Amino acid sequence: MPIYDSVMQEKPPVVLEIGRIYTKLGFATEATPRFIIPTVSTVSTTEAIKSLFNYETNNEFYDLVVDFFQMLFFKYFLVSPKDRKIVIVESSLCPTIIRETFTKALFRHFEVSSVFFVPLHLSVLSTLAVETALVVDLGYSEGTVLPIYSGTQILKAFQAENCGAQIIHKEIKRQLMESGVSEHLLTEKVLEDIKARTCFVTTFERAEQLRRGESVQHPPDIDYPVKEKTVIVIPGKLRETAFEVLFSIESNLSQMILNSLTYCSIEVRQELAENLVVVGGTAMVMGLLPRLQSELLQDIKFSPYAEKLLLSTFKIHKTIGKANFTSWLGGSIYGGTDLIITKSLTKEQYSKISRVPDWINLEDNCAPAS
Amino acid sequence: MANFMVESCVKFACSCGILNPLSKLYFCRHCLKIRCGFCLCHEVDVRFCSNCLENIPSSEARLNKSRCNSCFDCPCCHHTLSIRATSAQVARKSGEETPKEGDAADPSKVLTKKSYYLACLACRWSSRDVGIPDQISAKGAWPENEYVYQSRFQSILEYYQNVVIQNKQEKQEMMRRKTLKAHKFPSLTDRTGLNVSMIRRQIGWPDKNTPKITKATVTPSKALEKFDELPEKMFTEKLNLRNVTTIEQRHGQPAHQPFTVNKLYPQRKNLCIKRSLRCRQCEHNVIKPEYHPGSIKYRIQLFAAYHVPDVWLVSCEKPLKAGVLCQAVLKLSNPTIHDMTITIMDLPTQDEEYEMMEDLKKSFEKNFTSLITSSSTALSTSSFSRQTSITEDPRLVSKKTTADMKMLESSFILNHRDDSAEFDELAENPTVKDEHKFIVSRKSNKVSLKVNFTPNGDLVAGDEVIIGFTMQYTYINTVSNTPDKKEPQQHALTSRVYINMGRIPE
Repeated sequence: MPIYDSVMQEKPPVVLEIGRIYTKLGFATEATPRFIIPTVSTVSTTEAIKSLFNYETNNEFYDLVVDFFQMLFFKYFLVSPKDRKIVIVESSLCPTIIRETFTKALFRHFEVSSVFFVPLHLSVLSTLAVETALVVDLGYSEGTVLPIYSGTQILKAFQAENCGAQIIHKEIKRQLMESGVSEHLLTEKVLEDIKARTCFVTTFERAEQLRRGESVQHPPDIDYPVKEKTVIVIPGKLRETAFEVLFSIESNLSQMILNSLTYCSIEVRQELAENLVVVGGTAMVMGLLPRLQSELLQDIKFSPYAEKLLLSTFKIHKTIGKANFTSWLGGSIYGGTDLIITKSLTKEQYSKISRVPDWINLEDNCAPAS
Repeated sequence: MANFMVESCVKFACSCGILNPLSKLYFCRHCLKIRCGFCLCHEVDVRFCSNCLENIPSSEARLNKSRCNSCFDCPCCHHTLSIRATSAQVARKSGEETPKEGDAADPSKVLTKKSYYLACLACRWSSRDVGIPDQISAKGAWPENEYVYQSRFQSILEYYQNVVIQNKQEKQEMMRRKTLKAHKFPSLTDRTGLNVSMIRRQIGWPDKNTPKITKATVTPSKALEKFDELPEKMFTEKLNLRNVTTIEQRHGQPAHQPFTVNKLYPQRKNLCIKRSLRCRQCEHNVIKPEYHPGSIKYRIQLFAAYHVPDVWLVSCEKPLKAGVLCQAVLKLSNPTIHDMTITIMDLPTQDEEYEMMEDLKKSFEKNFTSLITSSSTALSTSSFSRQTSITEDPRLVSKKTTADMKMLESSFILNHRDDSAEFDELAENPTVKDEHKFIVSRKSNKVSLKVNFTPNGDLVAGDEVIIGFTMQYTYINTVSNTPDKKEPQQHALTSRVYINMGRIPE
């Protein structure tokens, strides 16, 4: 029976998008991921639960990755990893150590047949069936912007800033501690829950009023039970202003986008500005898109952008499915085409070179000497 | 055996160099080596639903997205939902006949109709909460929540599949045109493909029409300029937290990720698996579970605890002092039905350990080449893929001994296990006359022995004292993998044992 299975039926490739906090996983050609799970690994020797990227030595990272993949395959995918094709969606600027360790674990420990790395920003475009867009990815630790024109990533216009969930959690914690909530109650999980359930991005007009210091009627407060018998009050002000850090002076989402546009050549700016797409878990908050658009229209009026960019409209795409798995969806599309056969790193290739060919490596990215 | 749940102070080194208690180790009977979960190849063996214990074959599992057909999880708390039956009194329609006498006796003329709904016994969620109508049968067709973007995704996917195939065809066409013909005299007509079509026409065949994929089209997404502004009630109305889903609940249904609890739908239960473990070196199964999901037994179970003598730390002289000779009592037991001769030896030095690692690597390579040569006649796909197999590197043992152990002067015999002897009061242990001095006591298949060790002089308070030794034992292999040798063979096997004796007190 196993022979029949492997010969007669194709094994669908496995698609992974391993984020800092949540991992999206599923099979190629499927319209939604099967699971969205926290990126934590249970260390097999000590049974301790650890975040995958919270490592000290490279060997420790390798062991964490092996335990993590072990859990993915035997608890979620329920397929034998051996001789299976893997698609990993990750940023083109993902640290080499992460990419190398994933590949090493997959080939050496799990004996998969091939690994296909799909650039995260590029994969988003395939879900929209467009070829030109400015992709904004708002993750946990950072927000990144990468314009893509005619299917080519404009890497010199890449922007990354501290515009992720982390800074919002910090802001919520700061405001709550100011209002007298003790710190030990505010774990990362509680902060995330408060953010996801109660906070939203306020409208541009109200934000302007707040910036000017005018008094605004804040939304009602909420009693939030933290532990049994402990209830904290979440002020309406917090609910409305937690996300304001994304539009503050230190890390400004709209300025990040405009900066990126100034690095692009003048011919493509207009088209990019009319094809914005915002993905990532943080992009799912209510009210973000209209606010971002108003902020962009506001910022463009002032220096230094007013002189450099002559843009008057910003349009944003609506993602198919939820924004937190849009890039995964791109991986699912890539994994469903023939590219999985032609563009993957196969076991044979890996056994010869023992590393991942990468665009930044001159050995792989040079014209052959004639 | 070491206690299964509590971390044991006695650890065995696997042949790959990772330390584990004996209860977590396996023994490959064909390589005669200890293996651990890290160096064995895990495979999915049987898929089943943990609630209804139904066995689900892999093809069906793939169809159902590896979810159970009949069991559901609660969308609120992720417990299993139970199917509850209620009976509703339905007034009989006047036009309906009452053929049975028993029914006719019923004066109120009502019919009890059974209906079913799903309920969670942990959090009291029920399918009625979200407005799912009750079903008439217990295995009712519970409505699936349709995914809105399914058709859009399909069209995009098909579009890109076509684009890729088209590119491939164009590339092949280019290559065909570019490659020069191997003829000595190039023919111009041949190059244009004119010849072929002319010949075809002369014979009267239809023109060769290459099946070209029609250019696929898809409507690209349109960027929006107008968005729905935040609803005004956001700023005025009180938010009821109980109606807002948590992140776990949202991620429980990744397709919809609803914001409010009234959109939580029961989720089909995810399947479970049984794993089989396979030795990477000889490809034999080490663990193979029974097929039936209800059974917890194994068809093949090569746990190390059934083959390797276990070591306990019985007592240790306290307090431990750096540089001072200490005594401890160890107990060894023989799990096999053959007597064992045990020799306690020094651990390999670091150089020797490196050598062992090299040997292990080589043995892997040798194995593969032998596999390839043996299968050269019948080239099966599996052995072909093994050719390029790359495997995990063996590692150095992570623990270092921090005490110098005095080795025992001679080897001794560990009696075989005899389950009946435990109940036989008359059968006295034959006292061995010239018992070694280091043996404290002997009972059935167990031996207690004294060992002396000196913690290293440079240890400070709080440091762990770890002793280590290589235990060599004779092992009788009753199952031989070579058919010509029928009689059981005796092997001398070794395993590296590390014992944590405790800390140097403050």
